[in-house]
Amino acid sequence: MNVKELPITRSGVVPLLIIVQAIVLLPLWFFIPSWISATTIAILLGKYYMYRQGVHAPRWILLVVVLLCVGGVFLQFKTLNGRDAGIGLISLMYAFKLLEARSYRDASLILFISFFIVVTAFFYSEAIWMGVYLLIAVLAILLGLVALNSPQGAQGIGSIGRLSGVTLLQAIPIMVLLFFFFPRSSTPLWSMPTDTQAGSGIDDTMSPGSIGALHTFDDIAFRVDFEGEVPARSEMYWRGLVLSEFDGFTWFKDQHSPIRQELDLPMTQTFQYRVQMEPNNRNWIFGLEDLAEAPDGAYLFSDFTWNRRRQTAQRFIYSATAYDIDFSQKPLSELQLDRYLQLPTGSNEDTRDWAQEQRQNHPSNEAFIRWILSYIHQNEFYYTLSPPVIEIDSVDGFWFDSQQGYCEHYAGAFVYIMRAAGIPARVVTGYQGAEYNPYGDYYIVRQSDAHAWTEVWLDGEGWRRIDPTAAIHPSRVEEDLRGDASSRDGWMEEFGADVGFEAPEGLLQNLALRWDAIQSFWSETVMGYSQDMQFGWLRKLGIERDQYRYLGYGLLATIILAGLVFGYVVLRSAQRLEPVTKHYLLLLKKLQKLGIPCDRTMGPKDVLQVTRATSQKAYAKAAPALKTYIALRYQQEAVDSTMLKRFKQQVSRV
Amino acid sequence: MLSAIKKSFFSWVDKRSPRQSATVLRQKNIYILPTRYGWLMLGILVLILIASTNYQNNMGFMAGFVLLAVGFLSLFYTFRNLKGIEVRCLKSAPVFASNDAIVTVQLVNTTQSQRVGVGLGLSKKSVRYVDVAAESKSSVQVNLATNKRGLLDVPRLACTTMFPFGIFEAWSWVRSPYQVLVYPKPIPCPEPLVASNRGIEDGNTREKGAEDFHSLRDYQAGDPIKQVMWKAYARERGLYSKEFEDYVGEQQTLSWDSVAHYEKELAISYLADAVLSAEESQQHYGLELPQQTIATGQGAEHMHSCLKALALM
Repeated sequence: MNVKELPITRSGVVPLLIIVQAIVLLPLWFFIPSWISATTIAILLGKYYMYRQGVHAPRWILLVVVLLCVGGVFLQFKTLNGRDAGIGLISLMYAFKLLEARSYRDASLILFISFFIVVTAFFYSEAIWMGVYLLIAVLAILLGLVALNSPQGAQGIGSIGRLSGVTLLQAIPIMVLLFFFFPRSSTPLWSMPTDTQAGSGIDDTMSPGSIGALHTFDDIAFRVDFEGEVPARSEMYWRGLVLSEFDGFTWFKDQHSPIRQELDLPMTQTFQYRVQMEPNNRNWIFGLEDLAEAPDGAYLFSDFTWNRRRQTAQRFIYSATAYDIDFSQKPLSELQLDRYLQLPTGSNEDTRDWAQEQRQNHPSNEAFIRWILSYIHQNEFYYTLSPPVIEIDSVDGFWFDSQQGYCEHYAGAFVYIMRAAGIPARVVTGYQGAEYNPYGDYYIVRQSDAHAWTEVWLDGEGWRRIDPTAAIHPSRVEEDLRGDASSRDGWMEEFGADVGFEAPEGLLQNLALRWDAIQSFWSETVMGYSQDMQFGWLRKLGIERDQYRYLGYGLLATIILAGLVFGYVVLRSAQRLEPVTKHYLLLLKKLQKLGIPCDRTMGPKDVLQVTRATSQKAYAKAAPALKTYIALRYQQEAVDSTMLKRFKQQVSRV
Repeated sequence: MLSAIKKSFFSWVDKRSPRQSATVLRQKNIYILPTRYGWLMLGILVLILIASTNYQNNMGFMAGFVLLAVGFLSLFYTFRNLKGIEVRCLKSAPVFASNDAIVTVQLVNTTQSQRVGVGLGLSKKSVRYVDVAAESKSSVQVNLATNKRGLLDVPRLACTTMFPFGIFEAWSWVRSPYQVLVYPKPIPCPEPLVASNRGIEDGNTREKGAEDFHSLRDYQAGDPIKQVMWKAYARERGLYSKEFEDYVGEQQTLSWDSVAHYEKELAISYLADAVLSAEESQQHYGLELPQQTIATGQGAEHMHSCLKALALM
């Protein structure tokens, strides 16, 4: 049968296509709506059944099912636009294509579109497993292509399919080269609708229970890599948001916090670090106090918090420096005083009265703060993740009745009492502490490290961080939380926290840390690779930003050169002749030089005759070699190595 | 315009691939271009890179670059799959016009690497695919339609491959030095061809031959040993030879004159048919054509020379 392209009815091509599609769709099944996953699986199984039965689905049924699926996607997402709807639709269509595949063309389309489907999965996850998936999926697609282009179909794919593995192995270094050198753009080509997805993380409001809810999440919030000096873990307060507005139950982020002006206060640099933040779909990012500069794409507010212009929907890496700023010369403005003393009227009256009453006994701000903390320490205040629910007047209910709470209860009540006593104060939320990873020399901050604490304004000193949970007596800290509480700021020394590096214990934890180190490398160096990083290390190589285009030329030249070398090697290998043939051709060439009209289309016996007829001298020389060749070629099963050696010698003597 | 370009292109191609019985495929005569799927892949690649730039998705970049590298590498692998193959065109047997001539082409692989999915045919769009194992050869038969008697040039043959991934197609054009002899299409003549049928006149004369047993006679020196009556000799009755007779009666000469009143091609077809039926009934026959006369004879070779004479008339 004469064809342009091979048919796909050859053995095993269709089952192989089904397997390739299953591998390609595998990760998507976990991300797309389950009915779409189920439909694609059903289609693949149905195709296998039809293949075994040797039938094709009628076109009209296909059309009906396609329309039903498009309708289903529309109902699910209320649109056919946007990332999730698009990916849902494309995975359905991808599976359908197989259902109606009858020719080489269909199969080839499926296999090449598979590459795109693979990429859609990366919109959902860039974890290290996806790298493994990429390699496996590309290998499967290449195997499918090899089977499709081989007359034997999937038969013997074990031997000819090796070429796919070889190609993939050779493709990896080229990919690495392109990955690091290919000019990157720092801004999107066009803005796209952000699919807002709730990631776990700290929110811009705080009510009883809101931070406690995060304690169960072991997800990584961010990783920190210090350059040079590292603060004690009890000093690692990662500020995220300042909440200064209170409605009696919930604390809110200050809506009017202005962008901070240039500071002309004396300050000294303390710590330098890099943060690799996991996507949380929120605008705020975290840093050690005090913040003086904002990283690219972020604003710095006068309450020393940062906001990004865009939500962190992809991993975000930034460098920051912490400063020790001397505020002694800069009093609070009227506006700020109002804001940080603001209390809602008509709620939590008992606490307000109590605070004002106690204030009489402790006229100095510092003495009052110390007294409140020792009050927490000495009274029956419990640190627990499951405090009784308080319906209204959250401060009163906590301070006088339950006396059980998580950090947000303490922070909220503490700020309330401070304000009631006339001391400017505010709630700060973020993370506290970090886990050290000795294998990667960095710190891991998890969602379970989410924390709320306070800052009070002391004239002549500035904002001072006070963590009221650190004042709870260790015996009244819930067992699960003891580790957290013990590593907190001991403003009152007697609550002494054990500070410093704890060696990881146990094999499992060791493995977990090693694994996290690999993941961190993956997500920071590989997935976090950006134009900034590219410029950064290119500068180290001495290539400046304006010489960027030379990089493009260099890359192009490298690829072309590598291609030429590779091509030479590959094509040489195509010509590598089996030794007997090689020497026989050499012999023919020598005979031709001697004037004997012979070529490779003639049989060796003919050559022998022609030689004898043409020149006796040449015949005497060449006959033994030719006879050995005939023996080697036609009288033996396998090439005998001593005979081959003799043949080589005879050829060289001609 | 387009056809002029095509013509000058192919004359350039033909110059590079002279008619020869064995052509080794090498850089000089292998052409390579992306297939339509190759172009599709390029489009997908661009799409992936744009999407990756837009979503700042490094996994997407990785996938895109792997794809780019695979495409780049497949250029060489596809080229390699064809390179070094020796295409040998064999002589093909004569056929009657309107039957397909079968051109057998051998793909000889003297190298140590296996060649998979090599197609051979009259054009890139109509080929037969075979595998050529290392140090072996495969044959492909190309059917060539014929409609006219005479010598038919074997057209340019395409030897093509898309292996391993179908991203690129490498091909070469090979030209066979041999021509196919196309016999005239045999058509039975509506009237019997009697003219100049001299054979019928002396149809009853007998000649000694080897066909039919006729009688016995005494052995004479020189008689073929086959004809000795060994049975009689065994019974000690003496040495006898068997005598045979050939009927040479149905000997005819097919003459052009008998069909000259028909249109030329038709006349040739009638004669061709007469040659075939004469051969079939084991007659002795000759051919008288305006330029050529073939003495009476019989057998495959004789029939071939008669038909050849008719084909080339």
